[in-house]
Amino acid sequence: MKELRLDQIEKTYSKTAANKTESFGLRSIDLTIREGEFFSLLGPSGCGKTTLLKLAAGLLEPDSGKVWYGNSDLTATPPEARRFSMVFQQPLLFPHMTVADNTAFGLKMQKVGKKERLEKAEAMLDGVGLKGFYHRFPDELSGGQQQRVALARALVANPRVLLMDEPFSALDPGLREEMRELLGRIQKELGVTILFVTHDRDEAFELSDRIGIMRDGRLLQVGAGTELYEKPVSTEIAAFLGIKNIILGNIGEGRFVSADGAITMDVKNGEPEGERFLILRPEALQVADGNIQVPGDAIRIKGHVLKVKFLQGFYTAIVQAGNHELECQLFRGQSEQLEAGQQVEVFFSQCDVRFVME
Amino acid sequence: MKKISFWILLLLSLLLIGIPFFALILTSVSVGWQWPNLLPDSLSFRSWDYVLRGSSGTWRAIGISLLIAFIVTIVNIVLAVPAANALVRYRIKGKWLAEAILFAPIIIPPFVSVMGIHLTFLRLGLTETVLGVVLAHLSPTLPYMVRALITSYSTLSVDWEDQARMLGAGPFQRFYAVVLPHLLPGIAAGASLSILISLSQYLITFIIGSGQVVTLPVLLFPFISGGDPAVASAYSILFAGMAILALLGMDLSLKSYYRRKKSVSVNGRGAGNDEGTSFRPN
Amino acid sequence: MWQKSKPYLLLLPATGTIVLLFFGGLFDGLLKSMGYFPAIGEVGFSFDAYTDLWNSSSFWSSLGLTFRVAFLSSIISGLLGGVLAISLFMLHNSGKNKGAGLWHRVFQLPLTIPHLVGAYVIVLLFMQSGLFSKLFASMGLIDTISDFPVLVNDPFGWGIILTYAWKEAPFVSLMVYPVLMRIHGSWRDASRVFGANNRQFIREIALPVMMPSWTIAVFIVFVFTFSAFEVPFLLGVTYPNMLSVHSYQLYTSGTLADRPEALAINLVLSGLTVILGLIVYYFSKRWNVLKGWQ
Repeated sequence: MKELRLDQIEKTYSKTAANKTESFGLRSIDLTIREGEFFSLLGPSGCGKTTLLKLAAGLLEPDSGKVWYGNSDLTATPPEARRFSMVFQQPLLFPHMTVADNTAFGLKMQKVGKKERLEKAEAMLDGVGLKGFYHRFPDELSGGQQQRVALARALVANPRVLLMDEPFSALDPGLREEMRELLGRIQKELGVTILFVTHDRDEAFELSDRIGIMRDGRLLQVGAGTELYEKPVSTEIAAFLGIKNIILGNIGEGRFVSADGAITMDVKNGEPEGERFLILRPEALQVADGNIQVPGDAIRIKGHVLKVKFLQGFYTAIVQAGNHELECQLFRGQSEQLEAGQQVEVFFSQCDVRFVME
Repeated sequence: MKKISFWILLLLSLLLIGIPFFALILTSVSVGWQWPNLLPDSLSFRSWDYVLRGSSGTWRAIGISLLIAFIVTIVNIVLAVPAANALVRYRIKGKWLAEAILFAPIIIPPFVSVMGIHLTFLRLGLTETVLGVVLAHLSPTLPYMVRALITSYSTLSVDWEDQARMLGAGPFQRFYAVVLPHLLPGIAAGASLSILISLSQYLITFIIGSGQVVTLPVLLFPFISGGDPAVASAYSILFAGMAILALLGMDLSLKSYYRRKKSVSVNGRGAGNDEGTSFRPN
Repeated sequence: MWQKSKPYLLLLPATGTIVLLFFGGLFDGLLKSMGYFPAIGEVGFSFDAYTDLWNSSSFWSSLGLTFRVAFLSSIISGLLGGVLAISLFMLHNSGKNKGAGLWHRVFQLPLTIPHLVGAYVIVLLFMQSGLFSKLFASMGLIDTISDFPVLVNDPFGWGIILTYAWKEAPFVSLMVYPVLMRIHGSWRDASRVFGANNRQFIREIALPVMMPSWTIAVFIVFVFTFSAFEVPFLLGVTYPNMLSVHSYQLYTSGTLADRPEALAINLVLSGLTVILGLIVYYFSKRWNVLKGWQ
């Protein structure tokens, strides 16, 4: 298997004249990206994800650690010899070359003959939906079209790894959606390995096979989207993924008791004792009403409704229980029966419970 | 107001351009133009015949002038590209000092330095040689090339080169495919100035060349400081024409380059021209 | 190591060239001006050349002439160039964009003409038997050649002043015009709403906007004329002459013993231009003229 492996990478990054980034450091990053995988690095801006990407590209050199591709050590290989390619935030098409020449640039660098490289470039341009745009110049294209050319240019030379640095963040929301679909389709068709950097949760979840969540120069958790969402390893990740129901409490003698005593529940055998955070996904919490049968082993919490919100296709109730405001996703129709101040009972199943240490 | 400004412009253009050129052209073809006649007694191409005839050395002088200007410009490009790169893209300790050194010849008149170095050149055998004159022309021209290229470099983001790198371009390919096309307008602006300044140097060419390296200004000087007015006028027209043609040629070749290549680097170009011409009248 | 020293290595060829050829020359000149002249057996240092200068009346009259010529040249070319820029601007604003662009190009023509040619044009036009003299005579304004004032090779320096006024007016306009072009068309409309006519518009808006860069342009012309050689050499008189010419004459026509004094003049001249240059630089940074404003 030809995988891209980042091995104990460290890098302190100080502000340079060209790139005004504040000083921060990447701390001992270990990461393996499998062949043919779509891997996203997700994190807020300034977390070091772009730095990590540039280290993988070779545009930056690590202070320590190694970059491997399969069995070859690429750490000292200059970027132009790595046979990776990269799509930046801006299309960065060369203004003095036509769309076809831009696309064929990488092949030209590999000394591919003119006829062959233009044929390949045109085929790739067809693939990204730019048939017939070959002889235009970049300034005649829209932003979305330019980024398509950038994608075609990156793919045409058959790169070992495609690195993408927030490639769609400069586009309008509608276009971004369209580009995601295109990228997803092309990645499956070509089976190219992609390392993708983004701060957009939805984008990462929609496209990726696996996601690495980064913060402050550290890689917090790596896993498939569902795994991260259902089994976050820390409250930090849960919060970053938008889960608001995080309850501090204590596990002792087989029971979890929240710090304010409002929520208590039995825990599975073998759950270690001590201070814990209880994480409850909003869709795991349900409001009990006459129409729903509450399973016998469900855990019930009493509270009252603070308000009901409508967000992107579903209703959410905020239920006050003790000191906690719990977000609770509602079924269709439930929202009409609920109003602020109403006493309700919410419940969740034992298997949706997640405890973390920090 | 539109009318007024139009008439002012017309008057100024007559005063600043029309009459001077008219006077030059008419004098160059005049024979025995007596005061107070408004027009010459008769016209003849005698002076043009003399100027353009082989034995007057005009063609040789033009050739040497252009040769010197050309070599100076090439050397300037080779020196200025890395310097501008360093000044724009790297954090350098003592950057102000480097800039002060590079731009000093704009402020301090070059003949001061040339008179100072004259005897040293004499001892090194550089006087009376084209090489010596080229060396003397470097310091008054190089600052303008550096300035023009600094402007070009500051509009070129490193991202472009990174992009080319990721597509497999090595250092020379990156320079040729990405950096050079972007720098070209700046290089052209700098080269125009460099050529223009080199062509019009009289004093330093005369001191270092000791009258043996005969460029067009050296050839022309005795005529305009009290020679035959018709010949002097013909030489003046030729001299001005050579300078204008050199600039025009530069401009046209750049335009045709961009018509072929079709560019967006309008920025680099406009800025290059502006910057280039804006520091010292010439 | 390579990464650290790379920018300095990139700078080295250009700075090295200037240091060697330019500063080397200045330093060489400085040594010789202080009498250090191994070629003729002089290895001591003295300030004789400088004290001689201080006591020489021809130096002071040269300095005076140089200041006067530079001052009048820059003021006259500044006025002409200012009028030129405003006329171009008003023409542009009245909607004839194409015409204004063409005019703008036409007026750059004198900029490309070599100074020697410029000086000769002034000779043809303004010498006592020149074109203007002939014109005035045929209009009956003057009767003899000597009625026409001596404007070329005159002790006051009119010929030099006229040449620079002519050559540098387009330069001033070129420096000022882009600044004027930043005035939005809507400002004109806005000022019209408040009742400003064209003259008021120029006085209240165009002039204040162009003032900083105009001042800098005029100052640059001043510094340039201050140290120029060719035009004063052609159009001046033997005495008094401008500093650069004075130095050249000492250097070439005098004996070897006069050379330290010539080089001393050069260094005084350089010192003055550096001071003037620093003043231009200071104000241009402060007013931000060369960068453009928001």
